[in-house]
Amino acid sequence: MMPDIHQEGRAETTEWQPEQKAPVILLENVSKTYGKIHALSGVTLALSGGVTGILGLNGAGKSTLFKILMGKLKPSSGQVRLFGTNPWKNPAPYSRVGFVPEGEKMHDWMTAHDFISTFARLNGLTRDEAKVEADRVLDFVGLLDVAHKQIGRFSKGMRQRTKIAHALVSDPELIILDEPLQGCDPLARTTIMNVIRELGRMGRTVIVSSHILTEIERITEQIVILHHGRLLALGNLHAIREKMDNIPHRIDIGCESPKELAKSVIDIGSVHGISFQDPQKLTVQTHNLGDFHSHLPATIIDGGHKVNSIDNPDDDLASILSYLTGGGGP
Amino acid sequence: MSEQLDSTSQTTANDLSYSENVPVTGQGRMDAAWGSKDGDESTTAQVTSNNASVGYVFEQIYKPWNGPLNPRWMRNWAILRHHVLGIFRKGHRPWSLPTKLFIVIVFIASLGDVGLTLLSALIGSPELHTMWGVNRDNLYGHVLGFFPRNMLYYPILAALLVGGVISEDRYHGTSALYFSRPISRFDYVMMKYISVAMIQAFVVLLTLMIYYFVEIIVMGRGWAWIIDTFPLFLAAFVGGIILIVTYTSIGLGLSSVSKGKFFPGIGLVAIVLGTKTLAVLVSNLFERDVMYLLSPYDCLAHVGQALVGTQTTYDQYSWTWSLASLVLMNAFFLYILSSRVASMEVTRE
Amino acid sequence: MADKTNTIFRALDRKASAITEFTMRQYRTKISTWVVLITGLVIISLLMMFYVDAMQRDFESVDNDGDSVDSDGDSYPDGQERLYGTNPFSALSNPGFFDPPIPPDDPSVWIDEDDFDWNESPTGTRSVSVGYDDDGDCRTDDRTSSQKDTNDNGVECDIELSLTLTGEFRYDADSFVDEDPDDEAYAKEALHRASILGIGKLGFVFIISIFIPLFMATGLIRDEMNSGTMHYMLTKPIARTEVFFYRVIGYLGIVWPYLIILTLISAIVTGFAGPGDSLFRFSEFGIWLAILFAAMMATLVYGMLFCFLGVMWRYGIILAIPFAAWELGMALLSMGVPDAPILRFSVIGWALIIVDSASMIVWPDMALLIYSGFSVEGTDALGFESEELIGSEPLQYFYANPGLGNISPFLSMIIATVVLLIQATALLFLGGAIFKGKEIE
Repeated sequence: MMPDIHQEGRAETTEWQPEQKAPVILLENVSKTYGKIHALSGVTLALSGGVTGILGLNGAGKSTLFKILMGKLKPSSGQVRLFGTNPWKNPAPYSRVGFVPEGEKMHDWMTAHDFISTFARLNGLTRDEAKVEADRVLDFVGLLDVAHKQIGRFSKGMRQRTKIAHALVSDPELIILDEPLQGCDPLARTTIMNVIRELGRMGRTVIVSSHILTEIERITEQIVILHHGRLLALGNLHAIREKMDNIPHRIDIGCESPKELAKSVIDIGSVHGISFQDPQKLTVQTHNLGDFHSHLPATIIDGGHKVNSIDNPDDDLASILSYLTGGGGP
Repeated sequence: MSEQLDSTSQTTANDLSYSENVPVTGQGRMDAAWGSKDGDESTTAQVTSNNASVGYVFEQIYKPWNGPLNPRWMRNWAILRHHVLGIFRKGHRPWSLPTKLFIVIVFIASLGDVGLTLLSALIGSPELHTMWGVNRDNLYGHVLGFFPRNMLYYPILAALLVGGVISEDRYHGTSALYFSRPISRFDYVMMKYISVAMIQAFVVLLTLMIYYFVEIIVMGRGWAWIIDTFPLFLAAFVGGIILIVTYTSIGLGLSSVSKGKFFPGIGLVAIVLGTKTLAVLVSNLFERDVMYLLSPYDCLAHVGQALVGTQTTYDQYSWTWSLASLVLMNAFFLYILSSRVASMEVTRE
Repeated sequence: MADKTNTIFRALDRKASAITEFTMRQYRTKISTWVVLITGLVIISLLMMFYVDAMQRDFESVDNDGDSVDSDGDSYPDGQERLYGTNPFSALSNPGFFDPPIPPDDPSVWIDEDDFDWNESPTGTRSVSVGYDDDGDCRTDDRTSSQKDTNDNGVECDIELSLTLTGEFRYDADSFVDEDPDDEAYAKEALHRASILGIGKLGFVFIISIFIPLFMATGLIRDEMNSGTMHYMLTKPIARTEVFFYRVIGYLGIVWPYLIILTLISAIVTGFAGPGDSLFRFSEFGIWLAILFAAMMATLVYGMLFCFLGVMWRYGIILAIPFAAWELGMALLSMGVPDAPILRFSVIGWALIIVDSASMIVWPDMALLIYSGFSVEGTDALGFESEELIGSEPLQYFYANPGLGNISPFLSMIIATVVLLIQATALLFLGGAIFKGKEIE
């Protein structure tokens, strides 16, 4: 699948012209509470353009944030603006937004083409236009060959792609994807990621949520981290990572002769501990990850070591979160 | 840092995604420096261990659990308890709040005749007491009267209770939680059945008992009266049991064939009130009582009238026909229930 | 109009047709829809079978006025003697002594000898004079004018019908007019009409029109809100009130054609199997149209109501079920007390006004038919006990005057329709407003 980058312009939005300066998404001090539970508290965020990843553990408030943005939930306090208008009780901005909800429930009895073309008509397309549009978006996500199969027979990856295709109808300027990669196999994940990257390159504003850091960083560098309903970090992933570099880290190096490698590695200044956990693996502890990584390749090449893998077991959302929340590194 | 990535490891060498048309996202750098991969960066395989040429056969040893398994009744009791206690407190099966509320309302409303008995005893008016106190007709009416009890209270109560008992398990896939335990499907259904019936008995039969005993206490009834009326009470009690069993069978049968919460509930009410209306219509228009045999309520009422010995309102045929019809209804819906549960796929639908 | 394709109305139309079509297709894929619709068909078929069976039945002819008896044993039935002016209680006085002698009639001639001549009922305060003395025992020449006009309305040998100020019906017949009607003709005609009214009112407007919406409309929006599929529709630029409305339209797209088919079947069956000389009772299409219309209005209002209850509350069904029971009570009440004010607080009360008004238009003689069935009841002039005619009781039970007072049936039909439409519109806006303010997980 190779997405068509020569798209035929955007859907016309004739009826309604927003302030052009307004950010696509603007949240000001938005909170959402369910009784005593704070799903979101005091989130302030403005996004325009590019692909943004929303990271957070399950229950961090990602879906709540999206539902507030899409006018599905009413914020308990704070201001929400979607293209400069309040989305609550106001479907006007939806013509410029595509939303991929979480969850697997779909209209299983419809074919993918039916599903998309029927709902495309809600964007004001005629029956024929909707069919053409359905073909276009299904082609974009690479499902054209199965377009006339029932959604009920699709795999999870295909269902997710159908949902994305549904969101792409009328070529919206903003696309919100709630956990689009959840439950997909690697192949489907790669396809979906390509689609998302492609959308970003086409100049759409894309917001993707996930609880898996590695997924997000393969899509984008611009991330927002939510934790317990609070905005924890916002900005470039690298900048966040650089800050983490100076805390203790653990690196697993899979190699044929760990002891040989250890002798070379111990010379790197930032290494302060080495252990052998199994015969094919060397575990190195460092307090300056950047420095270690700048020396490691030279060390390996100079020593002529055979390295199978370099793995960072601390490199997941949990360790970033624990760092950002002040718990320190592992 | 990016210039180092070519020489870092063989990870990069295998990664085909570094072609021109992929935007620079920093992914490569991440892969190299952080080993951030989960095996699906590209569709090519990344072999981390070169000596795995023939593959391994994993030998897994399952350790059987040798602890004592509680007896069957104890396991069943756990299911029963889970359902029935859900009415009273948290941490058990979560019956919806409106269901609980309706149980309370119906319970209080069913005690209406108790209140009137108390009132008549207080005033000391024998006329009022003949109207509301315990007698043959009132015992029958407490359980089987149509308006309002079998129109507004008991079928709706049963409908709310059976609504999701099996269908929700099917919908949410929680039946898998039961069937992964040492519990037979028969036990599972049986306990659900009994628990729903018990909750109804709590409303129908308990109020009947209260009614009877309040009469004994406030009117100061002696043994002679009790010996006289106890068979009537017992007959009404049996009628109540048949009522509960029938409504539960129909409701659970419907619950086992549907996925939603709505269908079994509405289905039960539609069967009870719909067939009743239909039977009234046919009987009024064409003077044929045969449709009463299709109406669960009318069959119950007919059998109940025969048991208690009140004036029978269905005089075209013998009450044994109604009894036979009730048996057939129960058998039919229990058959549906058992065959559906036996063939139920343990999955989330 | 060159840019016709992009007007707002075209866009609206596209959305409406998309959701409506989607809803109808969604219903088609659900088994429960088919189960419910087939059950409805079975119920109506069952009622039609009972109806056809009743129409085929033989009704025993009853000598309602007792004049087939030969009281004096001279082999002349009393009716014949009375016709010729001889003394029915004296064997020495009979038409056999006439010149030329008249042979005695077979007693069966004097059973069911007096047919009904019904054609209209009084409306307002007007009295009408109806009836015809078919057997001639009133019009006989040897009676005086005052004997022929026992009800003193100035018309000989007639029945005077009037409505009293209290709305009661008064039936005042001259002696020997329509006193021994044809039981079978009466029973069939009365049962035929009672069946149409009973099946129409309780079968169509109650059972079918309340349980089908209960099954089909309660989850119309709620099911999708629960399962999460509502998101696909609601992320499109469409107002939620519109979604609500088009979903209900989609539901009606299934239910209304279904009602039309059911009514058509019933109308054809009752048209062919009904009593009468003609092959098909065309004149009764009017009443079936009214039943269809009432059922359509009822399914509209109930659909809106149950859909609204479903939107309003996760357990909307808990409110809908007692409401259905309430409507059953109101349906039964409207049969007996059609002008009870409490009926105005129900849906079915209004819907049944449409049927009642139509029955008044289609069968202007209805009141006469009912009361003449009862008029033979009691003890006649000669001390014979007689019962009401078969069929008069169900007819009286199922027939009711439209309960809006003494206004023309057309007017009450229009009022009822307007009220039902107002109810539907109010529920639409209420449901739409609640749906709009609903948070969707």
